[in-house]
Amino acid sequence: MNFSSKLIERAVEGFSSLPGVGKKSALRYVLHLLKQDEDATKEIAAAISELKANIKECDRCHNISDTKTCSICNNDLRKQQTVCVVETIRDVMAIEETGQFRGLYHVLGGVISPLDGVGPNELNIDSLIDRIAKENIKELIMAVSPTIDGDTTIYYISKKITDPTVSVSTLARGISFGGELEYADEVTLGRSIVGRIPYSNDNKK
Amino acid sequence: MQINKLILNQFRNYEKATLEFSDQINCFTGLNGMGKTNLLDAIYYLCMTKSNFNQSDKHVVQHEKDFFRLEGHFLRKDKKETVAVKAVLGKKKIIERNEIPYKRMAEHIGLFPVVIIKPEDTLIATGSSEERRKFLDNTLSQLDQDYLKHLIVYTKILKQRNASLKDFAKRNFYDEALIESYNEQLVEPAQYIFETRKTFVDHFHPVFLKYYKIISKEQEVVNCKYVSQLLENQLQELLIQNKDKDKYSTRTNAGIHKDDIDFFIRDFELKKFASQGQLKSFILAMKLAQYDFLAEKGSTKPILLLDDIFDKLDTNRVKQLIELVGRENFGQTFISDTGADRLTNILEEVGLEFRHFLVDNGTINN
Repeated sequence: MNFSSKLIERAVEGFSSLPGVGKKSALRYVLHLLKQDEDATKEIAAAISELKANIKECDRCHNISDTKTCSICNNDLRKQQTVCVVETIRDVMAIEETGQFRGLYHVLGGVISPLDGVGPNELNIDSLIDRIAKENIKELIMAVSPTIDGDTTIYYISKKITDPTVSVSTLARGISFGGELEYADEVTLGRSIVGRIPYSNDNKK
Repeated sequence: MQINKLILNQFRNYEKATLEFSDQINCFTGLNGMGKTNLLDAIYYLCMTKSNFNQSDKHVVQHEKDFFRLEGHFLRKDKKETVAVKAVLGKKKIIERNEIPYKRMAEHIGLFPVVIIKPEDTLIATGSSEERRKFLDNTLSQLDQDYLKHLIVYTKILKQRNASLKDFAKRNFYDEALIESYNEQLVEPAQYIFETRKTFVDHFHPVFLKYYKIISKEQEVVNCKYVSQLLENQLQELLIQNKDKDKYSTRTNAGIHKDDIDFFIRDFELKKFASQGQLKSFILAMKLAQYDFLAEKGSTKPILLLDDIFDKLDTNRVKQLIELVGRENFGQTFISDTGADRLTNILEEVGLEFRHFLVDNGTINN
């Protein structure tokens, strides 16, 4: 594309570096911004530059945060002895969205995969083990991907826990809610039958 | 099960070709390097989602082209089915069954069973143990989806375990908990694979004996014995025993990836004592037994591919072999040979119906 202005070209390049944004969409955003008040564009620019400059990683759970510890860790109303272990901050957002969990989190930063150069030391595992002792954590919920590497990570963490009173659980694996049985793949359906749960009226909630 | 029509597009030396097959015997004849084997490989590819001869699709696509496409029209359990492979270099290839792409290609294995007999098969007897495990895996994957799943899982865990052993050695450090995590994950798939292989070798033996007797016309006793560390010990224990060895060699020294089969003729090790002729008979009997086994235990009769049938066999032996596969317990068969007349003469002599394709540098006449 040929632009009459170097300034437009620079802005288009900036936008098109974003995932899912091509040159044409980028140009649309740029032309839209040109029509806006200067204040509005300054606000967007400030949001972006401050984001990168001021965002922090929570000291305790490695979630993103504006402060030294994040708003979830600072919330005294949440169960302080139950920790949900996740791979990424996106998983924190997804679980928060469910409204079903009122404990704390711990973000690992991925799963163990030596082939990709990710060993236990590259993840926030040591800090999790420290937290268990320091914060007297009693329950870990492993909410990592149901893959071979996810399983390795769960095995590894549970081996590192020396306190036998800490209970470790994983997310239930089975038929998705609102799904139809005939479309479920065999592995999932098989696991669902092996790991069936007793029926009670609580399940209907 | 049979393939009625094959359409090739930029596959090896074929720019474009369409072939319609007989449901009995099909012959591909032509000079060396004209593309007979490529036709057999195209059929193999549609059944097994990969080439029998090349690991990488880079060598499967026609020279200087960037994609290939294969389409096969099958008749499976009295139902017409279409299988298509679309491979663009540098992208993930797509395999479709009846126009629905597979999410996991492993699901395709076993639905369209196939057995290929080729000159290189003697490696099963003379080559490394990997060749014999390949024979086991090829047979069992086509019979048992769970076997294939466990094999894929086992292989992935093993690769990660080996990668971490190498990483530890490089960083001069050892993390016991991580290795133990992998050990625990290996046990379940290893046990399944071990038990399946063990049962298979037991059941395979009488079928194999039957074919060896027909082919060699001799009463020699032949034997095959499954060899596995797991016959003696549980994997968990073996992995603990090999802990230091694993550390120093930076790979995993115990497991079903060390399995083997020992072959014997009259109590003598086949590898060391067999003549070329004995070896050829032995391997032919094995492969025909593989066919028989798949046809018997599987859901449908496999397609049989006979590559370069005259390799190390004289006319009488070829005739005997063709008579054998012409019987009703064998299904659709594809045969390739360099000489046109000697193959068709035998087929006429035996009195079998066949369709003849003359292959000449990427073009086909029948």
